[in-house]
Amino acid sequence: MTATSSRDDHYAGEPIAEHRSRLRATVDTILLNRLAVTGLIILLLLVIAAAIGPLVAPYGINEISIPDRLQGPSASHWFGTDDLGRDLFSRVIIGSRVSLMVGFIAVGIALLIGVPIGLASGFYGGAVDSWLMRLMDILFALPAILLAIAVLAVLGPGIGNAMIAIGIVYTPIFARITRGSVLTIKESVFVSAARSLGATDIRILRTHILPNVVAPITVQTSLSLAFAILAEAALSFLGLGVQPPDPAWGRMLAEGRGFFEQAPWMAIFPGLAIVITVMAFNFVGDGLRDALDPQQRSVIESRGQG
Amino acid sequence: MTAYVLRRLFQMALALLGVSIIVFSLIHLVPGDPVRVALGTRFDPDVHAALTKRAGLDRPILVQYFSWLGDAVRGDLGVSFRSGQPVADLLFERLPATITLAVAALFVALLVSVPLGILSAVRSGSKLDYGATAASQVAVSVPDFWAGIMYILLFSLSLRWLPPSGYVSFSDDPVEWLKHLTLPALTIGLISGSILFRFIRSAVLEALHQPYTRTARAKGLTERQVIWSHVMPNAWIPIVTVVGLQLGFLLSGVIVVEVIFAWPGLGRLALLSVQDRDFTVLQGAVLLIAFVFLSVNLIVDLLYGYLDPRVRQK
Amino acid sequence: MSDPVLSVNELTVSFGTRRGRAKVVNNFSYDVGEAETLAIVGESGSGKSVSSLALLQLLPTPPARVEGRALFRGADLISMTKSEIRGVRGNRVAMIFQDPMTSLNPVRTIGFQLMEPLKIHMGMSDTAARARAIELLDTVGIPSPGGRVDDYPHQFSGGMRQRVMIAMGISCSPDLLIADEATTALDVTTQAQILDEIRRLQEEMGLAVIWITHDLGVVAGIADRVVVLYGGSMMEESVIDQIFDERRHPYTRALLESVPVSGGDRPHRLKAIQGLPPDPTRLPPGCPFAPRCRHAVERCSNDAPRLRAPAEGHRVACHLDPADFHD
Repeated sequence: MTATSSRDDHYAGEPIAEHRSRLRATVDTILLNRLAVTGLIILLLLVIAAAIGPLVAPYGINEISIPDRLQGPSASHWFGTDDLGRDLFSRVIIGSRVSLMVGFIAVGIALLIGVPIGLASGFYGGAVDSWLMRLMDILFALPAILLAIAVLAVLGPGIGNAMIAIGIVYTPIFARITRGSVLTIKESVFVSAARSLGATDIRILRTHILPNVVAPITVQTSLSLAFAILAEAALSFLGLGVQPPDPAWGRMLAEGRGFFEQAPWMAIFPGLAIVITVMAFNFVGDGLRDALDPQQRSVIESRGQG
Repeated sequence: MTAYVLRRLFQMALALLGVSIIVFSLIHLVPGDPVRVALGTRFDPDVHAALTKRAGLDRPILVQYFSWLGDAVRGDLGVSFRSGQPVADLLFERLPATITLAVAALFVALLVSVPLGILSAVRSGSKLDYGATAASQVAVSVPDFWAGIMYILLFSLSLRWLPPSGYVSFSDDPVEWLKHLTLPALTIGLISGSILFRFIRSAVLEALHQPYTRTARAKGLTERQVIWSHVMPNAWIPIVTVVGLQLGFLLSGVIVVEVIFAWPGLGRLALLSVQDRDFTVLQGAVLLIAFVFLSVNLIVDLLYGYLDPRVRQK
Repeated sequence: MSDPVLSVNELTVSFGTRRGRAKVVNNFSYDVGEAETLAIVGESGSGKSVSSLALLQLLPTPPARVEGRALFRGADLISMTKSEIRGVRGNRVAMIFQDPMTSLNPVRTIGFQLMEPLKIHMGMSDTAARARAIELLDTVGIPSPGGRVDDYPHQFSGGMRQRVMIAMGISCSPDLLIADEATTALDVTTQAQILDEIRRLQEEMGLAVIWITHDLGVVAGIADRVVVLYGGSMMEESVIDQIFDERRHPYTRALLESVPVSGGDRPHRLKAIQGLPPDPTRLPPGCPFAPRCRHAVERCSNDAPRLRAPAEGHRVACHLDPADFHD
């Protein structure tokens, strides 16, 4: 990760005392960024849709009506109906629940495992560092989807296991970014000063190091949410994620494949939902990066492996 | 340089060893008897006993690992629980299709991203730059499998220009080979290319703003000479790294896209083996893909040394 | 005095920014004669580098806008076409930049970079250019140049790289060499060597030099005349011997008091200049230095002083007479 070093240099020198004003500046920068604001609004709508979905959805998600099957978009069925006559608009709305939930929980898992590994690795160095990082390298040596598929082969398909699989896939990124940040901050003057005053490891980690790794991790989180949603959709599409009859966008796409010619809308709308959601997270991630981390390369560029 | 190559080779071997442990564990982490699971309804005690013995599952776990590893190094990856065929045969039968697709996708990606990335950086702020950046912003958010489906809808079902799926080998019919290859390669290549585009643009932009570029201009070089003699030789270095990392993304895309286009490659084989619970095949596929990925990264690292005299002479 | 090599007339450089146009260089005029060294002195942000980049059209336009004239041997550099200015760059007018670490291309050999101007301006063949490159390295004092010509910049020390930059600058025997903070990144010993080198080449080649620096200590050692720039405007111009011992523009005096000058005739306490340089998007209507000037009177902040010439070889932009200053 060549991007890491330049970013870290930037943080090494920044005093924590400016934390509040930096937060303020961050918020300002994000609000000035039109794309980031657009992304935030889309995400807000998505969260609302996921939360109150059943109230908004005109039909039940599994309300089967064979006479209405494979109907194109119309006033009564905005996105048309599927092969069982279910209303696609309602299913796309409720599908946001799965996407957001899997995204957040999977990235949460990656954060909870990756950040402590990165902290320990960067802070203690030596054998701990080399063993943990070798392990991360091994996970990095497998294409993301393949690793997720392998994990799901062991655990069996399903939404919960998909979250675990995606979480494992994105753990190394968080570990590496955290470690990189810790390494430069560890050598900075204020940490040496705290150490010479007899501060304990835990104290140094909590008061000096953690606040400084927050920015790069925040950016990476927003990014990873986008990738996690893409990964979940791919796994559900392959039949390894969400199982029928629950509506998930990837799953709906897979179902739509069988009716390509009669009902292209079955594949178009769930796909658009994925694109818009992922784009929103990317916009917010780019905005966060510009605000917090101006020297880091664009989020999409730091994606490296997908 | 030799020491550098040796160190990288050693690191690769170490990573492969790690991957082999994970891959080997796969089969043992699955709850229950993997052979019984794989055979499912076709259960036959004799077949079961034979497969168990062939896979060595009745021996102590460490013995199993080392004998499996020893066999794997010699190219013997066991037999499929399903078909009884040697796994290595199954894999190498499908490897050419996957490599063809990956190389074609990379070709598309580079074809789109390199000229556009350089042009966008050189004319940053122009309409072309805005257009290309906006397009890449959208493209990176598109799931590859959905893009594939949309291409099939448009180019196969509506326009009827290209076949929606399948594979024809080059030696059988080069024209059909190309026709069948086009859509899957575009699906992966355009998305991958849009990621590369953004990286190339920023790498070129960064090199354009370096003092040495100003020095080059101050010498009286034409803008073309400045870019090709001074900017690009520097920009290639980070670009090559990212292209290497992109291969991971590309291979992920290949797995999914192979399913959509019924492309008889490793990815589709791996996925089928998951559905069939055919664990020896899955093991082999994961190991082989990891090997390909690590080898490419090694080549990229060596290229890096070639491009950057600072690395070369260390 | 014979015709100057370069005659800059009312050079104005502004940049379009989000907060309006920033005037970075304001009606800047000066001459440089044959074999003469003119020092342009100022703090960072005074416009000294920008004004010289503008001469060779090395500023990106837009956002930059360059007005005024710069007659080099009678031809205006500012209004030249792209191909005309390319024929001047590195050929008749050469430039050396501040940071020798980053001003050389890290992935090209020293020889490649030295040969480029020889090939494009003098039409030399590869063999001839290579032989000349080795000669040039020898001229600037690189030991065993034949063995170093194929090395990369990272194999050279900072001082050596700056010598390479100089070799590159003089390769086509230019009439004018512009050195932008050329010794700032170097240690004092190396700095002295480089200055000697430039002086020697100047004598041998009759080279005119513009030496851009913030360091008055260096100026004392090399310049014939000094121009002091502040907030994009010329504050003062003087021949070198007078700038240190006469009563000067308040900014020049503040600058002198803030740096240790070797060979200054009396020891003095170093003083920092209070306040910050002006924001180029909001230049005050009067003298740009007025907000920080100890002697400023009301008129200074409303009315920009014009350059006047109180004595031969001395121009100053100040409403006040140095004789009136009481410290």
